[in-house]
Amino acid sequence: MHPTTPVLAPTRRLPLRRPARGRWFGGVALGLSAHLDLPVGLVRLAFVVLTPVAAVGPLLYVFWWLAIPAGDPAAAAQDIRPSALSRLARRQAVIEPGRRIPVTDIAIGAVLVIAAALLIAVRSGADVDADWLLPALIVLAGLWLAWSQLDELQRGRLRDRAGGRTPVSLLRVAGGILLAGVGVLLFVGLASGEGVDTATLAQSIVAALVMLGGVALVLTPWWLRLVRELGDERAARARESERADIAAHLHDSVLQTLALIRSRADDSAEVARMARAQERELREWLYDDRPAPGTSVAAALRGIIAEVEDSRSGPTGDPVAVESVVVGDRVPDADTEALLQATREALVNAVVHGRPPVSLYLEVGTSEVEVFVRDHGDGFDLDEVGTDRFGVRESIIGRVRRRGGAATVTSSPERGTEVHLVVPIRVSDEQGVQS
Amino acid sequence: MSEPVDVVLVDDHHMFRTGVKASLDAGVRVIGEADTVDEAIRLVRELKPPVVLLDVHLPGGDGGGGAEVIRACTDLLGQTRFLALSVSDASEDVVAVIRAGARGYVTKAIDGTDLSDAVRRVAGGDAVFSPRLAGFVLDAFGAAAGDIAIGDDELDRLSAREREVMRLIARGYSYREVASELFISIKTVETHVSAVLRKLQLSSRHELTRWAAARRLL
Repeated sequence: MHPTTPVLAPTRRLPLRRPARGRWFGGVALGLSAHLDLPVGLVRLAFVVLTPVAAVGPLLYVFWWLAIPAGDPAAAAQDIRPSALSRLARRQAVIEPGRRIPVTDIAIGAVLVIAAALLIAVRSGADVDADWLLPALIVLAGLWLAWSQLDELQRGRLRDRAGGRTPVSLLRVAGGILLAGVGVLLFVGLASGEGVDTATLAQSIVAALVMLGGVALVLTPWWLRLVRELGDERAARARESERADIAAHLHDSVLQTLALIRSRADDSAEVARMARAQERELREWLYDDRPAPGTSVAAALRGIIAEVEDSRSGPTGDPVAVESVVVGDRVPDADTEALLQATREALVNAVVHGRPPVSLYLEVGTSEVEVFVRDHGDGFDLDEVGTDRFGVRESIIGRVRRRGGAATVTSSPERGTEVHLVVPIRVSDEQGVQS
Repeated sequence: MSEPVDVVLVDDHHMFRTGVKASLDAGVRVIGEADTVDEAIRLVRELKPPVVLLDVHLPGGDGGGGAEVIRACTDLLGQTRFLALSVSDASEDVVAVIRAGARGYVTKAIDGTDLSDAVRRVAGGDAVFSPRLAGFVLDAFGAAAGDIAIGDDELDRLSAREREVMRLIARGYSYREVASELFISIKTVETHVSAVLRKLQLSSRHELTRWAAARRLL
C-alpha cells in the first residue's frame, strides 16, 4: 500500500552499491533492492529461486559481488549530486538497530563442517574421488584471497590513498598467486601422471597457458581497482573545487553581513533583520539540499518568506520572523503560483498588521494544496474592511477563487487571525517533482 | 514553585551552553555539561539526571551524534528523558534522534521561557512537539486523509484525531489552543501527542526510514 507516494516527490534511482550494514553475504541483494526499490526479501528469494536453474542465482550473485563496488547507496547518490545543490553539513551516521545474524560466519562454518565430513569419509574408506578435490580447493582459496581485496579496497581507501600499496594487500596477491600456482601445478602433475612422453610438450604448453590464465585471474582485481580509483579521483577533484567555490561564497557573504552589522550597530531592528537573513542563507546551505530552480513549490515559498522578512516590518518597526512548516512538495504550476501570490499577500498582512509569532503551514496533498497563515494580532472583521480596500478581498480571496479554490479568514481578538487558502490540484498534471 | 528540574546540557558550542544556562528560568537547574558523545554518555550514566538537553550534532563516538548518546543510554530511558535541541531543522537529523528515543525536539531559536517549559513537560513524561516536528510526522506518515488508522494499536498510521492534532501544531497552535480548537482537554492533547511520538519511534513502516533517506535526494 503506497497511499503517500503521490505526496512525496519521486526520487531518482539509487546507484548500485553493496551496503555494509544489514548484508548477509556480500550485500548484493541489499544493494539491488535499494537500486530497484524492491523489498530486500523479494530479491533474496529471486536468488534462491534461480539457484536450481543451472546455478544462475549463485553465479549472478558472485558476478555482482565482484562487479558492484561496496558502499552506502544513499551516500553514493549524495556524492553524485552536485555540491552546489547538496547540504554542506556532514551527515550523521545512521545507526538503526537491525537484527544481526552472522550469516557469513555460519556459511564458513557450514563449509568447514562439509570439509570435515568429507575427510572423515575418506578416512573411513568411503570411495571418494578426491584426486581433483585438493588442487581445486587450493585454486579456489587462492582466487578468493586475491579477489577479496576488492572488498578491502573500499574499507581501506583512506589508508591506501596515502601510500598506494600496503603489506597486507601485497601479501594477499602473493599468497593468491602462490596458491593458484601450486594448484595448477598439481593439476598438471595429475594429468602427466600417466606419463605419455609425446604429449609432454603439449601438456607443458597447456600448463603454461593455465598458469597464465590463473595469474590473469589473480591480477584482474588490481586492474579493476586502478580503473575505479582513477574515476573516483577525478570526481573527487571536481567536487573539491566546487566546494571551495561555495565556501568562498559563504564566507564572503557572512563577512559582508558582519561588516554591515558593525557599521550599523545602533540600529537594532536593522541588525536583527540582517542577522535573520544571514541565518536563513547559512541554514539553507548547511542543512538543506537545494532543489533545481523551478521544480519545487516549497523552495518558491521559502523565497517568498525571505522576501517578506527582508522587506516588511511589524507594527512596532521590528523585523518579524516567520515560522514555516511545509509538508509534501510538487512542481509549481499556474494554480500553485496563484496560491503562493495570495499567500504572500496574507503573509504581508500578518507581518505588517498582526503580531508575532507568525506561522505559515503549507500542505501539498493528493487532491489539493492548502496554506494556513496565522498571526497573534488583535484580529479584524472582514465585513468592516471597506470594499475599496483591494488588499484582502481581491489579492487574497479573489486570486484563489479564480483558480477554483477557497479562502477563509478567521479572526478574533484573543486568537489572532488565521487565513486558510486551498486550491485543488488538476488531475491531468498530477505529478510530483521530476528529477 | 516546586523543586527545580535537574538537567544535563550537552552541546559542543561553549557559547551556546552559556547562553542556554543564562536563559533558563529558576525552575530548571543545570547540574552538568558535556561537549562530546563519549563525555555525554559518561556524564549521563554518572548523574542520571531527569532530563538531558541534547544537541543533535555532536563530535566524537562513532559519528552518530545525539542519537548515538541516546542509544548508549537506552537502559536509562525510564528515569532519564532526552530533549533534542538543534540548529538544524533538516528532517533526517530530527528523525534519527527521535527514533533513538528522544521525547521531543526543539530548535535552538527557542526562547528561555519556552525551553524551560519544554524541559518541565519532558520531565513530567510528556512529549514536546515543535511545529516543525509535527510537519515531519505528517510528511512521513502521509498527510492524505485516506491514510487513517482504524484501530488504536496500528503503529504505521495516524488516527484521524492524531492527524488533526498534528496539523494544528504544525499551524503554530500551542497545546492549549489545540485543546480549545478541538473541544478537548489539554491532557487529551498530550495523550495524542505521546501516542504519535510512540508511533514515530516504533513504526516499522518501511516508508519511514526510506522517507528520511529519500528526502535528501529531492
